[in-house]
Amino acid sequence: MCGIAGIFAYLDVAPDVDRGELARMNARMAPRGPDGSGNWFSADRRVGFTHRRLAIIDLSERGAQPMHSSDGTLIITFNGEIYNYRQLKAELEAKGYCFRSDSDTEVLLHLYADRGLSMVEALRGMFAFAIWDSRARKLLLARDPLGIKPLYYADDGWTIRFASQAKALLAGGAVPRDPDPAGIVGFHLFGSVPDPFTVWRSIRAVPAGSTILVDAAGPEAPRAYYSVAHALGRRSAAAGAGAETGRRQLSAAVHDSVRHHLVADVPVAVFLSAGLDSGALLGTMAELGARDTLAVTLSFAEFKGDRHDEAPLAAEIASRYGARHLVRTVDRAEFERDLPAILDAMDMPTIDGINTWFVAKAAHEAGIKVALSGLGADECFGGYPSFTDVPRSVRLLRPFRFIPGLGGLARRVLSSAIARGVRLHPKSAGVLQYGGSWPGAYLLRRGVFMPWELCGLLDPALVAEGLRRLAPLSHISAALQAGRPLGEFDRVAAMETSFYMRNQLLRDADWAGMAHSIEIRVPYVDPYFLAALPRGDVLAAIKAKEAVADVPQPPLPQASRNRSKTGFVTPVGRWMRDAGGASGDVGFSNASRAWALRVWQAGWTGSAAA
Amino acid sequence: MTARMLALVSDCYGMGGGIARYNQDLVEGLAEGGAQILVLPRHGRADGIHLPAGISQEPPVFNRLWYSVKSLWIGWRRGPFDVVFCGHVYMAPIAWVVARLIGARYWLQTHGTDVWESRPPLRRRAIEAADMVTAVSRGTRHILLGWVHLPPECVRVLPDTVGDRFVPGPPSNTLRDRFALGSGPILLAVGRLSASERYKGHEQVFGALPALRAEYPNLVYAVAGGGDDRRRLEQRARELAGESAVRFLGFVSEEDLLGLYRLADLYVMPSTQEGFGIVYLEAAACGLRVVGGVGGGSADAVPDERVGVLVDPSDRAALVAAIASQLARGKVDPVAVEPYRKAHFAAAACRLLARLMTQPRRRRGAK
Repeated sequence: MCGIAGIFAYLDVAPDVDRGELARMNARMAPRGPDGSGNWFSADRRVGFTHRRLAIIDLSERGAQPMHSSDGTLIITFNGEIYNYRQLKAELEAKGYCFRSDSDTEVLLHLYADRGLSMVEALRGMFAFAIWDSRARKLLLARDPLGIKPLYYADDGWTIRFASQAKALLAGGAVPRDPDPAGIVGFHLFGSVPDPFTVWRSIRAVPAGSTILVDAAGPEAPRAYYSVAHALGRRSAAAGAGAETGRRQLSAAVHDSVRHHLVADVPVAVFLSAGLDSGALLGTMAELGARDTLAVTLSFAEFKGDRHDEAPLAAEIASRYGARHLVRTVDRAEFERDLPAILDAMDMPTIDGINTWFVAKAAHEAGIKVALSGLGADECFGGYPSFTDVPRSVRLLRPFRFIPGLGGLARRVLSSAIARGVRLHPKSAGVLQYGGSWPGAYLLRRGVFMPWELCGLLDPALVAEGLRRLAPLSHISAALQAGRPLGEFDRVAAMETSFYMRNQLLRDADWAGMAHSIEIRVPYVDPYFLAALPRGDVLAAIKAKEAVADVPQPPLPQASRNRSKTGFVTPVGRWMRDAGGASGDVGFSNASRAWALRVWQAGWTGSAAA
Repeated sequence: MTARMLALVSDCYGMGGGIARYNQDLVEGLAEGGAQILVLPRHGRADGIHLPAGISQEPPVFNRLWYSVKSLWIGWRRGPFDVVFCGHVYMAPIAWVVARLIGARYWLQTHGTDVWESRPPLRRRAIEAADMVTAVSRGTRHILLGWVHLPPECVRVLPDTVGDRFVPGPPSNTLRDRFALGSGPILLAVGRLSASERYKGHEQVFGALPALRAEYPNLVYAVAGGGDDRRRLEQRARELAGESAVRFLGFVSEEDLLGLYRLADLYVMPSTQEGFGIVYLEAAACGLRVVGGVGGGSADAVPDERVGVLVDPSDRAALVAAIASQLARGKVDPVAVEPYRKAHFAAAACRLLARLMTQPRRRRGAK
């Protein structure tokens, strides 16, 4: 896990690469790679790469980057891990390719030489990389299928710049900070900025599961090589399995994914809560032979000794699987102390990531570089309330969609009543208007603010332009295009995976983890894992969220199954609410709203320093 | 490249001016690459002009309605065409319709001020329907992407090109005497003196002259070009810089223009709203360093200190310092201007046409 950046002056009239600019981009990413730093410039100064290294695989200097092929024609700067690199290396060696290192980076170079652009389809892992092909004079940018690793780019029509962090692009000094209404509106709607937008108009994200080729004519349109909806569609076309077969498939999938995610030349820890997902990871690690694993648990001073404290149950799980257990206690004072650093490290505005910040901080303090996380399990196993709420909403409210104007009228009447003091959540005004369609019901369920509320928060002209560009319902609908009908479970899974998980959870795991030089690995976020699971209806039938407790042998303790029904509670929501300036007895949803506004007021666009 | 293109343009052969010149350079560059291009202008006749192989031009049609009808007729009867090229944003709606009706790709060219301010909804929709938009500068591209919703990769930059005759040469004392420019140094500005183009910054230079003449007593500012604002500018020059500091040269011939570039010591026009600033490039191609203005597309003609500097013209001290420092730096290395030559322009245009022909058709609403 590292930080990458680069510049390609593709048009003849563009000035050569500015070494100082690249150095500033590199410096902004220093926490991403404390183990090394490297630069490379083409002989004609038209291309420059930089790299910050967090050494995980092949710790020697032979794994340093940017790395070039033995004939010098290919150069790569790479962030991430390729879990099947040994298998790919063996295949390439059988074809006659010679390797100088034991790094996954070199595998990527040879794989590109062997397969070209289609190389990405062979990769199992999390990755964002750039390869400069000096013979073809083409730059390839690639991002992993599910968007675990970020990759941003800014193209001004002469020169393209890319980096692991949007703020690194800004730090270079050549990318304008003009606001992007679509990204800003997207943040206020979703609580995170939906790809490919950012809050800066000049910066875009390389879409997850896509590549971008850049030649002398500039960047091509992103080419998608993976789609969550299509993957779910293919899975749904498989024959249905019985409950027992489904459980076996689930178990095999978890074992296979965890095994792949343990590939490292440094110790691999685990972020352990009292829940089932992370416990199943630890149990599976133990079953696969991992010994003396460090399990890191967050505990909150406010919960000490009460039923919300996760530490005792996590300790029981750790003990069961022979792990060393580290409990890190966080209190409000530390949150307030860290808040400026959190907002600085936050690469894009988000209403989440605080828990990840502290657990990564704890892991770093313990000398850890790599940790597994249970992130993504709820999207796969149907663990969110949205898996029941959204389909129910669509079933009940779909008929009202066919009465023209009814939804809008109801929304205006209810909004007016709420404004006059009727105690309803502001989002409830949109139930008839939005609740009868899949994207609408999802937006209602996940939305922080709703479209009609934004003019009270932001400049109305910006809101209008942002909604026009973003087209939030169409944007969500695009995540459902599978080429074949999806079942209810898979529809929600596609939306949660493509929005909440990708734009919020994964992005937060990256900035919050990398701020502490921690590589967070996510075995539940893996296309191979997704494909190996049984169909959505089977997962729902076997209650996969609970069934995962039986995946490791021995299974998780009974107490953790019982606790999973009480939900996951932290005081972070309360801290965020207070930091956001909200008052009174408000629920987590209102805390998110207040926190969203606080985050936005931290200053993202305009002349503030990156 | 065997693409067949219908070019709907305001003017091309048979007309002068920046847009006509640009269109000529573009179609010639594409034709060199093998494209077959039929030009339908609203102004200008190509009668008697030898057109390069691969290019033909229809008689002009000024009336908008008839132009639209003829565009449709030619698109239907003279095709098939692979690409409909639209040379001006005002004609984007008809180009969009023609392209869709005949199933061709739609390429729109923007120049600068044409997309900076006027933003009617129909024009916006017509721009957003384009398969590819080219802008003459990064500044214009940035402004355009601020108000139309297009994937950024669809909006490419195809910078102005500088003619091969603009090369360094010996200064002409005849010209110096004819225009009474004295022993110099000579600061030069070229362009229309229009009341609608006061952003060119002449008055700010007048204000800087007294300080400059304290150091260079024989320094003059030569302003080439005419227009409805000349009388007022002459008055302002007297008020701000005295009687002898500014020479208004009026319209100059193409030959004299080249001579002036070779004679002058510095090109000074701190304009804040140039679509591209072709005059900066012509001056630099003749070896003249440039002091331009911050804003608009000037940064593309003066991209770095090899060519000159851009200043905020409202900051008089900065303007004086920039002029003084650039005067001291000598001539521009021709290598710095080489990428703006026609061969590079033609190659870039052909690459864009190839990209347009091979990329998947853009889906409406794609982000």
